[in-house]
Amino acid sequence: MSMLEIRNIHKAFDQNEILKGVSITVEKGDVVAILGPSGSGKTTLLRCINYLEKADQGELIFDGRSYDLANTPKKDIAAIRMKTGFVFQNYNLFKNKTALENVTIGLTSVRKIPASEAKKIGLKMLERVGMLARADHFPAQLSGGQQQRVAIARALAYDPEIIYFDEPTSALDPELIGEVLGVMRALAEEGMTMIVVTHEMDFARNVSSHVIFMEDGVIVEEGTSKEIFENPKKERTREFLRLEENRRNVQ
Amino acid sequence: MNQEMWDLFIESFWKLIIPGLKMTIPLTVTAFFFAMIIAVLVAMVQYANVPVLKQISRFYIWIIRGTPLLVQLLIGFYGLNNIGIHINAFPAAVLIFSLNEGAYCAETMRAALEAVPSGQMEAGYCVGMNYAQIMWHIVLPQAFRTAFPPLSNSLIGMVKDTSLAANITYAEMLYAAQRIVGRTYKFMLIYCEVALIYLMFSTVLTWVQRYGEKRLNAYGGNKG
Repeated sequence: MSMLEIRNIHKAFDQNEILKGVSITVEKGDVVAILGPSGSGKTTLLRCINYLEKADQGELIFDGRSYDLANTPKKDIAAIRMKTGFVFQNYNLFKNKTALENVTIGLTSVRKIPASEAKKIGLKMLERVGMLARADHFPAQLSGGQQQRVAIARALAYDPEIIYFDEPTSALDPELIGEVLGVMRALAEEGMTMIVVTHEMDFARNVSSHVIFMEDGVIVEEGTSKEIFENPKKERTREFLRLEENRRNVQ
Repeated sequence: MNQEMWDLFIESFWKLIIPGLKMTIPLTVTAFFFAMIIAVLVAMVQYANVPVLKQISRFYIWIIRGTPLLVQLLIGFYGLNNIGIHINAFPAAVLIFSLNEGAYCAETMRAALEAVPSGQMEAGYCVGMNYAQIMWHIVLPQAFRTAFPPLSNSLIGMVKDTSLAANITYAEMLYAAQRIVGRTYKFMLIYCEVALIYLMFSTVLTWVQRYGEKRLNAYGGNKG
């Protein structure tokens, strides 16, 4: 059975339909890259499956259970969130907490794990993302890349079954993107299941196992990264990839 | 200043500072304490958009901000007395100052809460925290950091506003000054002296504010 399935998700803001019936399936260990132009609904999709936005319709099958995305009890939402990690475009580290506290706060306040044990886990997670030396720094004292790595450590703290990345490198200076992608690549190699909304074509091509191309709230095309990048079937996909390629060459 | 004036100045200094320490400060501290509780509650009710309570909060702020503090004090003491509610000057003053200051500080707190980026709340949800946990651990501490300077401002303002309590027989500093003046007719000397003591109190609070801001700045404010 797949680890996570989304069936026929719909979401509109006012009259503006952002998601028009998207379905995806994620197997354990998959790294799914979601590509698409701005406004295609990829971020909204990610936010809906972690209940940051309430979908109008749709089904989430996760961990062997089915949930109505438009109507899931708060208790279930909290339980789902504790098995998933979410990494935001602009990090959203807790500004009043140190790097270490950012990782441990969920453990201590939600899971009620004793502080000493939480600290051990926190330090281990910071080490995984190469941020151990900055454990006592506040977010304002860290670069964007460092903040994002701490945010990944925070997402790892619960030992999640899947991590969602919402354009994790889009807010970063070009020279800082590498360090974050490096951490994500390492996670992928360790077998972490991930859904990554991204504009990083190299990452999608080389690291992801599965690529979804979205536009106007629907999936235009999906397949293995090899299929999508080497032999895209839809003209629209080809065009998008060509534009992204040009954009990269200009940079 | 001749010897006689100087003697009066020294003699009055103790007669002023003692009510200052025994009356002005306790009134300020007590009323500000309750004002903070009111402010946080009223601000949170609005921030969380709680129906009915939110409307009550807006109504409360409207009334308090729209009427003079002195009039509120007179109603809280003499007015209540008139309709059979007899409370002493101190509790009456605490009641009115808390309500008055609470309304203004509630607006400060509300602005500070709204200044916390929504991403902080979302990140809290994503690690499984519930609304109350996020408010307690994340949003309120950050809002308090933002609100600290304007709240200190309010506190310093309030120290001086307590002089209005002289009008409801609360024997604070200005009340003591008026009694000395009534006896000596040295308006200039005594009122300047009492102004000086208010200035001393305010100066100490300014230092406290500076120290507090330094400590709260440990995490680099709300930058980044």
